[in-house]
Amino acid sequence: MSLAVRIIPCLDVRGGRVVKGINFKDIVDAGDPAEAAKRYDAEGADEICMLDIDASFEERSTTIETVKSIASQVFIPFTVGGGIKSLKDIDMLLKSGADKVSINTSAILNPDIIEEASKEYGAQCIVLAIDAKKDGEIWNVYTHGGKNKTELDAIEWAKKGQDLGAGEILMTSMDKDGTKSGFDNNLYLELSNNLSIPVIASGGAGELSHLVDAVKIGKADALLAASIFHYEEISIKKVKQALQTEGFEVRL
Amino acid sequence: MHLGVVDYGASNIHSVARALQSLGSKVSIVDTPDKFKSIDKLVFPGQGSMGSCIKKLNEKEMINSLMDAIKSKPFLGICLGLQILFNSSEESKEKGLGVINESITKIKDVNNENIKIPHMGWNNVKIEKKHELFSGIEDKQFFYFVHSFVASSTETSITTTYYGEEFVSSLATENIFATQFHPEKSGKIGLKFLENFINWKI
Repeated sequence: MSLAVRIIPCLDVRGGRVVKGINFKDIVDAGDPAEAAKRYDAEGADEICMLDIDASFEERSTTIETVKSIASQVFIPFTVGGGIKSLKDIDMLLKSGADKVSINTSAILNPDIIEEASKEYGAQCIVLAIDAKKDGEIWNVYTHGGKNKTELDAIEWAKKGQDLGAGEILMTSMDKDGTKSGFDNNLYLELSNNLSIPVIASGGAGELSHLVDAVKIGKADALLAASIFHYEEISIKKVKQALQTEGFEVRL
Repeated sequence: MHLGVVDYGASNIHSVARALQSLGSKVSIVDTPDKFKSIDKLVFPGQGSMGSCIKKLNEKEMINSLMDAIKSKPFLGICLGLQILFNSSEESKEKGLGVINESITKIKDVNNENIKIPHMGWNNVKIEKKHELFSGIEDKQFFYFVHSFVASSTETSITTTYYGEEFVSSLATENIFATQFHPEKSGKIGLKFLENFINWKI
Protein backbone atom coordinates (compact mmCIF):
# COMPACT_ATOMS: atom_id res chain seq x y z
CA MET A 1 0.00 0.00 0.00
CA SER A 2 1.48 3.33 -0.97
CA LEU A 3 0.36 6.92 -0.97
CA ALA A 4 -2.52 7.83 -3.22
CA VAL A 5 -1.75 9.74 -6.42
CA ARG A 6 -3.11 13.20 -5.73
CA ILE A 7 -5.47 14.99 -8.08
CA ILE A 8 -5.26 18.73 -7.59
CA PRO A 9 -7.68 21.07 -9.34
CA CYS A 10 -6.15 24.48 -9.71
CA LEU A 11 -8.00 27.75 -9.48
CA ASP A 12 -6.24 30.44 -11.45
CA VAL A 13 -7.50 33.56 -9.76
CA ARG A 14 -7.35 37.19 -10.78
CA GLY A 15 -9.08 39.92 -8.82
CA GLY A 16 -11.04 37.39 -6.74
CA ARG A 17 -12.42 35.49 -9.76
CA VAL A 18 -11.41 32.21 -11.34
CA VAL A 19 -9.93 32.74 -14.79
CA LYS A 20 -8.32 30.55 -17.39
CA GLY A 21 -6.17 31.35 -20.39
CA ILE A 22 -4.32 29.49 -23.12
CA ASN A 23 -0.53 29.56 -23.03
CA PHE A 24 -0.75 32.12 -20.22
CA LYS A 25 -2.73 34.51 -22.49
CA ASP A 26 -6.34 35.21 -23.53
CA ILE A 27 -7.82 35.17 -20.04
CA VAL A 28 -11.55 34.44 -19.58
CA ASP A 29 -13.73 34.58 -16.45
CA ALA A 30 -14.68 31.22 -14.97
CA GLY A 31 -16.51 31.87 -11.70
CA ASP A 32 -16.30 32.24 -7.92
CA PRO A 33 -13.22 30.59 -6.32
CA ALA A 34 -14.86 29.38 -3.07
CA GLU A 35 -17.80 27.86 -4.94
CA ALA A 36 -15.42 26.09 -7.31
CA ALA A 37 -13.26 24.85 -4.41
CA LYS A 38 -16.31 23.46 -2.62
CA ARG A 39 -17.44 21.66 -5.72
CA TYR A 40 -13.99 20.11 -6.20
CA ASP A 41 -13.89 18.99 -2.58
CA ALA A 42 -17.27 17.30 -3.03
CA GLU A 43 -16.08 15.66 -6.25
CA GLY A 44 -13.08 14.09 -4.54
CA ALA A 45 -10.19 16.51 -5.08
CA ASP A 46 -7.20 15.54 -2.92
CA GLU A 47 -5.99 19.12 -2.59
CA ILE A 48 -6.97 22.54 -3.82
CA CYS A 49 -4.49 24.90 -5.38
CA MET A 50 -5.11 28.58 -5.93
CA LEU A 51 -2.73 30.65 -8.01
CA ASP A 52 -3.12 34.38 -8.14
CA ILE A 53 -1.90 34.61 -11.70
CA ASP A 54 -1.30 38.33 -11.86
CA ALA A 55 0.11 38.85 -8.41
CA SER A 56 3.79 38.76 -9.27
CA PHE A 57 3.33 40.66 -12.52
CA GLU A 58 1.38 43.57 -11.17
CA GLU A 59 3.34 43.54 -7.92
CA ARG A 60 0.34 43.04 -5.73
CA SER A 61 -0.13 40.49 -3.02
CA THR A 62 -2.48 37.54 -3.22
CA THR A 63 -6.09 38.10 -2.37
CA ILE A 64 -6.28 37.26 1.33
CA GLU A 65 -10.06 37.41 1.35
CA THR A 66 -10.33 34.70 -1.29
CA VAL A 67 -7.95 32.50 0.70
CA LYS A 68 -10.02 32.95 3.86
CA SER A 69 -13.24 32.27 2.02
CA ILE A 70 -11.93 29.01 0.54
CA ALA A 71 -10.29 27.87 3.80
CA SER A 72 -13.47 28.31 5.80
CA GLN A 73 -15.42 26.04 3.47
CA VAL A 74 -12.99 23.42 2.24
CA PHE A 75 -11.26 20.90 4.53
CA ILE A 76 -8.57 19.34 2.40
CA PRO A 77 -4.99 20.60 1.93
CA PHE A 78 -4.95 24.01 0.32
CA THR A 79 -1.99 25.53 -1.51
CA VAL A 80 -1.79 29.21 -2.39
CA GLY A 81 0.64 30.85 -4.79
CA GLY A 82 1.21 34.11 -6.61
CA GLY A 83 3.10 37.20 -5.63
CA ILE A 84 4.73 35.77 -2.49
CA LYS A 85 7.84 37.79 -1.76
CA SER A 86 8.65 37.47 1.91
CA LEU A 87 8.25 35.39 5.04
CA LYS A 88 5.66 37.95 6.07
CA ASP A 89 3.57 37.12 2.99
CA ILE A 90 3.88 33.41 3.78
CA ASP A 91 2.93 33.97 7.40
CA MET A 92 -0.14 35.93 6.37
CA LEU A 93 -1.27 33.27 3.88
CA LEU A 94 -0.78 30.43 6.36
CA LYS A 95 -2.69 32.38 9.00
CA SER A 96 -5.46 33.05 6.48
CA GLY A 97 -5.94 29.33 5.94
CA ALA A 98 -3.40 28.12 3.40
CA ASP A 99 -1.66 24.86 4.32
CA LYS A 100 1.12 25.30 1.80
CA VAL A 101 2.46 28.17 -0.23
CA SER A 102 3.79 27.94 -3.71
CA ILE A 103 6.68 30.24 -4.56
CA ASN A 104 7.80 30.96 -8.10
CA THR A 105 9.36 34.22 -9.27
CA SER A 106 10.60 35.44 -5.91
CA ALA A 107 12.48 32.17 -5.29
CA ILE A 108 14.49 32.88 -8.43
CA LEU A 109 15.15 36.48 -7.47
CA ASN A 110 15.92 35.46 -3.89
CA PRO A 111 16.55 31.70 -3.35
CA ASP A 112 17.05 32.31 0.39
CA ILE A 113 13.28 32.65 0.77
CA ILE A 114 12.89 28.89 0.18
CA GLU A 115 15.53 28.05 2.77
CA GLU A 116 14.23 30.49 5.36
CA ALA A 117 10.58 29.57 4.86
CA SER A 118 11.37 25.86 5.02
CA LYS A 119 13.23 26.32 8.32
CA GLU A 120 10.48 28.47 9.77
CA TYR A 121 7.37 26.57 8.66
CA GLY A 122 8.65 23.15 7.62
CA ALA A 123 9.42 21.75 4.17
CA GLN A 124 5.93 20.24 3.96
CA CYS A 125 4.36 23.65 3.41
CA ILE A 126 6.84 25.05 0.88
CA VAL A 127 6.14 24.28 -2.78
CA LEU A 128 8.60 25.51 -5.39
CA ALA A 129 6.62 26.35 -8.54
CA ILE A 130 8.48 26.47 -11.82
CA ASP A 131 7.26 27.59 -15.25
CA ALA A 132 9.38 25.93 -17.92
CA LYS A 133 9.61 25.98 -21.70
CA LYS A 134 11.61 23.64 -23.90
CA ASP A 135 14.53 25.25 -25.68
CA GLY A 136 16.58 22.74 -27.67
CA GLU A 137 17.73 20.04 -25.28
CA ILE A 138 16.83 21.79 -22.05
CA TRP A 139 13.87 23.38 -20.35
CA ASN A 140 14.30 27.05 -19.54
CA VAL A 141 12.78 28.63 -16.45
CA TYR A 142 10.50 31.66 -16.91
CA THR A 143 9.44 34.17 -14.27
CA HIS A 144 6.56 36.61 -13.74
CA GLY A 145 3.83 34.25 -14.91
CA GLY A 146 5.76 33.09 -17.95
CA LYS A 147 6.66 36.54 -19.19
CA ASN A 148 10.41 36.71 -18.59
CA LYS A 149 12.94 34.14 -19.72
CA THR A 150 15.82 33.26 -17.41
CA GLU A 151 19.02 31.32 -18.10
CA LEU A 152 18.10 28.72 -15.50
CA ASP A 153 17.75 25.06 -16.45
CA ALA A 154 14.46 23.81 -14.96
CA ILE A 155 15.84 20.44 -13.78
CA GLU A 156 18.86 22.06 -12.13
CA TRP A 157 16.69 24.70 -10.53
CA ALA A 158 14.32 22.07 -9.14
CA LYS A 159 17.28 20.18 -7.65
CA LYS A 160 18.56 23.39 -6.09
CA GLY A 161 15.07 24.04 -4.71
CA GLN A 162 15.03 20.61 -3.11
CA ASP A 163 18.42 21.29 -1.51
CA LEU A 164 17.18 24.64 -0.23
CA GLY A 165 14.31 22.90 1.53
CA ALA A 166 11.32 22.88 -0.82
CA GLY A 167 8.92 20.05 0.06
CA GLU A 168 7.46 19.65 -3.42
CA ILE A 169 8.03 20.83 -6.97
CA LEU A 170 5.09 22.13 -9.01
CA MET A 171 6.31 22.12 -12.59
CA THR A 172 4.22 23.77 -15.30
CA SER A 173 5.10 23.13 -18.89
CA MET A 174 4.45 26.41 -20.72
CA ASP A 175 4.56 24.58 -24.05
CA LYS A 176 1.67 22.40 -22.93
CA ASP A 177 -0.33 24.65 -20.61
CA GLY A 178 -3.84 25.23 -21.95
CA THR A 179 -3.24 23.22 -25.12
CA LYS A 180 -4.99 20.01 -23.95
CA SER A 181 -2.43 18.01 -25.90
CA GLY A 182 -1.04 15.96 -23.00
CA PHE A 183 1.58 16.55 -20.32
CA ASP A 184 5.25 17.00 -21.12
CA ASN A 185 6.10 13.54 -19.78
CA ASN A 186 9.78 13.78 -20.68
CA LEU A 187 10.07 16.77 -18.40
CA TYR A 188 8.38 14.99 -15.50
CA LEU A 189 10.32 11.78 -15.92
CA GLU A 190 13.58 13.73 -15.96
CA LEU A 191 12.45 15.58 -12.87
CA SER A 192 11.28 12.49 -10.98
CA ASN A 193 14.56 10.74 -11.73
CA ASN A 194 16.49 13.68 -10.30
CA LEU A 195 14.46 14.44 -7.18
CA SER A 196 13.51 12.75 -3.94
CA ILE A 197 10.63 15.13 -3.18
CA PRO A 198 7.19 14.81 -4.82
CA VAL A 199 6.61 16.24 -8.29
CA ILE A 200 3.31 17.84 -9.25
CA ALA A 201 2.76 17.84 -13.01
CA SER A 202 0.85 20.73 -14.54
CA GLY A 203 -0.06 21.84 -18.03
CA GLY A 204 -1.57 20.02 -20.95
CA ALA A 205 -4.33 17.82 -19.55
CA GLY A 206 -7.02 17.34 -22.19
CA GLU A 207 -8.00 13.68 -22.10
CA LEU A 208 -8.14 10.96 -19.49
CA SER A 209 -5.15 9.17 -21.01
CA HIS A 210 -3.02 12.31 -20.63
CA LEU A 211 -3.45 12.23 -16.87
CA VAL A 212 -2.77 8.53 -16.61
CA ASP A 213 0.35 8.86 -18.77
CA ALA A 214 1.78 11.65 -16.62
CA VAL A 215 1.81 9.18 -13.71
CA LYS A 216 2.69 6.08 -15.72
CA ILE A 217 5.31 7.57 -18.01
CA GLY A 218 6.20 10.84 -16.28
CA LYS A 219 6.16 9.24 -12.79
CA ALA A 220 4.41 12.30 -11.37
CA ASP A 221 3.28 12.04 -7.73
CA ALA A 222 0.40 14.44 -8.24
CA LEU A 223 -1.51 15.96 -11.15
CA LEU A 224 -2.65 19.52 -11.32
CA ALA A 225 -5.16 20.79 -13.86
CA ALA A 226 -7.49 23.74 -14.21
CA SER A 227 -9.77 23.92 -17.21
CA ILE A 228 -10.66 20.25 -17.70
CA PHE A 229 -12.01 20.11 -14.17
CA HIS A 230 -13.45 23.57 -14.23
CA TYR A 231 -15.50 23.05 -17.34
CA GLU A 232 -16.36 19.50 -16.23
CA GLU A 233 -14.80 18.00 -19.33
CA ILE A 234 -13.33 15.22 -17.22
CA SER A 235 -14.43 14.44 -13.68
CA ILE A 236 -11.92 13.91 -10.87
CA LYS A 237 -13.58 10.57 -10.19
CA LYS A 238 -13.03 9.39 -13.76
CA VAL A 239 -9.34 10.26 -13.53
CA LYS A 240 -9.01 8.29 -10.31
CA GLN A 241 -10.86 5.30 -11.72
CA ALA A 242 -8.58 5.30 -14.75
CA LEU A 243 -5.50 5.45 -12.50
CA GLN A 244 -6.87 2.65 -10.34
CA THR A 245 -7.41 0.47 -13.41
CA GLU A 246 -3.72 0.95 -14.16
CA GLY A 247 -2.83 -0.26 -10.69
CA PHE A 248 -2.17 3.08 -9.01
CA GLU A 249 -3.37 3.83 -5.50
CA VAL A 250 -6.09 6.50 -5.45
CA ARG A 251 -8.48 7.86 -2.87
CA LEU A 252 -11.95 7.03 -4.15
CA MET B 1 -20.49 22.22 23.91
CA HIS B 2 -17.50 24.47 24.26
CA LEU B 3 -14.35 23.26 22.54
CA GLY B 4 -10.87 24.55 23.27
CA VAL B 5 -8.09 24.44 20.71
CA VAL B 6 -4.66 24.70 22.30
CA ASP B 7 -2.35 27.32 20.80
CA TYR B 8 1.16 27.10 22.17
CA GLY B 9 2.50 29.48 19.57
CA ALA B 10 4.03 27.31 16.86
CA SER B 11 1.21 25.42 15.32
CA ASN B 12 -1.30 26.18 12.60
CA ILE B 13 -4.38 25.85 14.76
CA HIS B 14 -6.69 27.77 12.47
CA SER B 15 -7.63 24.93 10.16
CA VAL B 16 -8.67 22.78 13.13
CA ALA B 17 -10.67 25.64 14.63
CA ARG B 18 -12.35 26.34 11.28
CA ALA B 19 -13.28 22.69 10.75
CA LEU B 20 -14.83 22.46 14.23
CA GLN B 21 -16.69 25.73 13.69
CA SER B 22 -18.06 24.48 10.38
CA LEU B 23 -19.67 21.66 12.39
CA GLY B 24 -21.46 24.22 14.54
CA SER B 25 -19.25 24.11 17.62
CA LYS B 26 -18.29 26.98 19.83
CA VAL B 27 -14.51 27.10 19.64
CA SER B 28 -12.11 29.06 21.84
CA ILE B 29 -8.37 29.33 21.51
CA VAL B 30 -6.58 28.18 24.65
CA ASP B 31 -3.30 30.08 24.84
CA THR B 32 -2.96 30.80 28.57
CA PRO B 33 -3.17 28.44 31.59
CA ASP B 34 -6.43 29.97 32.89
CA LYS B 35 -8.34 29.33 29.68
CA PHE B 36 -8.40 25.53 30.16
CA LYS B 37 -11.03 25.79 32.91
CA SER B 38 -14.01 27.07 30.93
CA ILE B 39 -13.89 24.54 28.10
CA ASP B 40 -15.65 21.15 27.91
CA LYS B 41 -13.37 19.36 25.47
CA LEU B 42 -9.84 19.97 24.37
CA VAL B 43 -8.18 19.64 20.97
CA PHE B 44 -4.41 19.76 20.72
CA PRO B 45 -3.18 20.20 17.15
CA GLY B 46 0.56 20.27 16.83
CA GLN B 47 3.29 20.56 14.29
CA GLY B 48 7.05 20.85 14.47
CA SER B 49 9.20 18.91 16.91
CA MET B 50 8.31 17.53 20.32
CA GLY B 51 11.19 19.46 21.89
CA SER B 52 10.12 22.89 20.67
CA CYS B 53 6.51 22.15 21.57
CA ILE B 54 7.32 21.17 25.17
CA LYS B 55 9.64 24.19 25.48
CA LYS B 56 6.93 26.57 24.28
CA LEU B 57 4.34 25.01 26.61
CA ASN B 58 6.79 25.53 29.47
CA GLU B 59 7.46 29.14 28.48
CA LYS B 60 3.73 29.81 28.54
CA GLU B 61 3.42 27.90 31.84
CA MET B 62 0.72 25.74 30.27
CA ILE B 63 2.06 22.26 31.08
CA ASN B 64 0.27 21.80 34.42
CA SER B 65 -3.12 23.01 33.19
CA LEU B 66 -2.72 20.92 30.06
CA MET B 67 -1.98 17.82 32.14
CA ASP B 68 -5.01 18.52 34.36
CA ALA B 69 -7.22 18.84 31.30
CA ILE B 70 -5.79 15.65 29.75
CA LYS B 71 -6.69 13.80 32.94
CA SER B 72 -10.22 15.17 33.20
CA LYS B 73 -11.71 16.24 29.85
CA PRO B 74 -12.30 14.56 26.50
CA PHE B 75 -9.04 15.19 24.69
CA LEU B 76 -8.12 14.95 21.03
CA GLY B 77 -4.45 15.14 20.08
CA ILE B 78 -3.64 15.63 16.40
CA CYS B 79 -0.29 14.78 14.79
CA LEU B 80 2.32 16.17 17.21
CA GLY B 81 -0.61 16.22 19.64
CA LEU B 82 -0.42 12.41 19.55
CA GLN B 83 3.35 12.29 19.83
CA ILE B 84 3.72 14.56 22.87
CA LEU B 85 1.58 12.10 24.87
CA PHE B 86 4.50 9.68 24.75
CA ASN B 87 7.56 9.48 27.01
CA SER B 88 10.11 10.53 24.46
CA SER B 89 10.89 10.93 20.78
CA GLU B 90 13.98 10.24 18.68
CA GLU B 91 13.39 13.73 17.31
CA SER B 92 14.18 15.64 20.52
CA LYS B 93 16.03 15.24 23.77
CA GLU B 94 13.19 16.88 25.71
CA LYS B 95 10.82 14.40 27.32
CA GLY B 96 7.16 14.18 26.29
CA LEU B 97 4.17 14.31 28.62
CA GLY B 98 4.55 10.63 29.51
CA VAL B 99 0.85 9.78 29.38
CA ILE B 100 1.74 6.78 27.25
CA ASN B 101 4.76 4.88 28.46
CA GLU B 102 6.42 4.34 25.09
CA SER B 103 8.51 6.29 22.63
CA ILE B 104 8.23 7.87 19.19
CA THR B 105 10.66 6.83 16.48
CA LYS B 106 11.60 7.94 12.97
CA ILE B 107 9.62 6.19 10.19
CA LYS B 108 11.50 3.03 9.17
CA ASP B 109 11.65 1.73 5.61
CA VAL B 110 11.51 -1.92 6.68
CA ASN B 111 10.96 -3.33 3.20
CA ASN B 112 13.43 -1.01 1.43
CA GLU B 113 10.73 0.62 -0.66
CA ASN B 114 12.71 3.82 -1.00
CA ILE B 115 9.96 5.82 0.65
CA LYS B 116 10.01 9.59 0.81
CA ILE B 117 10.13 11.24 4.24
CA PRO B 118 8.02 13.07 5.40
CA HIS B 119 5.07 10.79 4.88
CA MET B 120 2.88 13.37 3.18
CA GLY B 121 -0.42 12.67 1.50
CA TRP B 122 -3.49 10.45 1.68
CA ASN B 123 -3.13 6.99 3.15
CA ASN B 124 -5.36 4.15 4.36
CA VAL B 125 -6.44 3.89 7.95
CA LYS B 126 -7.10 0.33 9.08
CA ILE B 127 -9.46 -0.01 12.00
CA GLU B 128 -8.02 -2.54 14.48
CA LYS B 129 -10.37 -1.90 17.38
CA LYS B 130 -13.89 -0.50 17.44
CA HIS B 131 -14.21 3.01 18.82
CA GLU B 132 -16.97 5.62 18.95
CA LEU B 133 -14.83 8.15 17.10
CA PHE B 134 -14.85 5.88 14.06
CA SER B 135 -18.56 5.23 14.13
CA GLY B 136 -20.01 5.70 10.66
CA ILE B 137 -16.53 5.51 9.13
CA GLU B 138 -15.70 2.44 7.11
CA ASP B 139 -12.49 0.47 7.38
CA LYS B 140 -9.53 1.47 5.18
CA GLN B 141 -10.64 5.01 4.41
CA PHE B 142 -8.11 7.61 3.33
CA PHE B 143 -6.94 10.28 5.75
CA TYR B 144 -4.35 13.01 5.24
CA PHE B 145 -0.90 12.66 6.84
CA VAL B 146 2.16 14.92 7.20
CA HIS B 147 4.86 13.58 9.55
CA SER B 148 8.29 11.99 9.80
CA PHE B 149 8.04 10.28 13.19
CA VAL B 150 5.66 7.57 14.41
CA ALA B 151 4.49 5.44 17.26
CA SER B 152 5.44 1.97 16.08
CA SER B 153 3.31 0.04 18.51
CA THR B 154 1.17 0.69 21.51
CA GLU B 155 -1.46 -1.33 23.32
CA THR B 156 -3.80 1.63 23.03
CA SER B 157 -3.78 1.54 19.21
CA ILE B 158 -7.18 1.94 17.52
CA THR B 159 -6.07 2.16 13.88
CA THR B 160 -2.87 1.38 12.01
CA THR B 161 -1.46 2.63 8.72
CA TYR B 162 1.33 1.31 6.56
CA TYR B 163 4.09 3.56 5.26
CA GLY B 164 7.53 2.02 5.34
CA GLU B 165 6.33 0.19 8.42
CA GLU B 166 3.04 -0.39 10.15
CA PHE B 167 2.47 2.41 12.62
CA VAL B 168 -0.20 3.67 15.00
CA SER B 169 -2.42 6.11 13.09
CA SER B 170 -4.72 6.61 16.07
CA LEU B 171 -4.96 5.52 19.68
CA ALA B 172 -7.29 5.83 22.62
CA THR B 173 -7.12 5.49 26.36
CA GLU B 174 -10.08 6.47 28.53
CA ASN B 175 -10.87 10.14 27.80
CA ILE B 176 -7.92 10.55 25.44
CA PHE B 177 -7.99 10.05 21.70
CA ALA B 178 -5.11 10.93 19.41
CA THR B 179 -4.51 10.74 15.69
CA GLN B 180 -1.36 10.84 13.60
CA PHE B 181 -3.48 11.94 10.63
CA HIS B 182 -5.10 15.34 10.22
CA PRO B 183 -8.90 14.96 10.42
CA GLU B 184 -9.26 18.69 9.73
CA LYS B 185 -7.62 18.13 6.31
CA SER B 186 -9.22 14.79 5.47
CA GLY B 187 -12.33 16.07 3.70
CA LYS B 188 -15.77 14.69 4.46
CA ILE B 189 -14.50 11.65 6.39
CA GLY B 190 -12.28 13.86 8.53
CA LEU B 191 -15.25 16.07 9.36
CA LYS B 192 -17.28 12.97 10.28
CA PHE B 193 -14.49 11.96 12.66
CA LEU B 194 -14.45 15.44 14.26
CA GLU B 195 -18.22 15.36 14.57
CA ASN B 196 -17.87 12.05 16.42
CA PHE B 197 -15.41 13.73 18.79
CA ILE B 198 -17.84 16.60 19.40
CA ASN B 199 -20.57 14.05 20.21
CA TRP B 200 -18.28 11.75 22.19
CA LYS B 201 -19.63 10.94 25.65
CA ILE B 202 -17.33 9.44 28.22
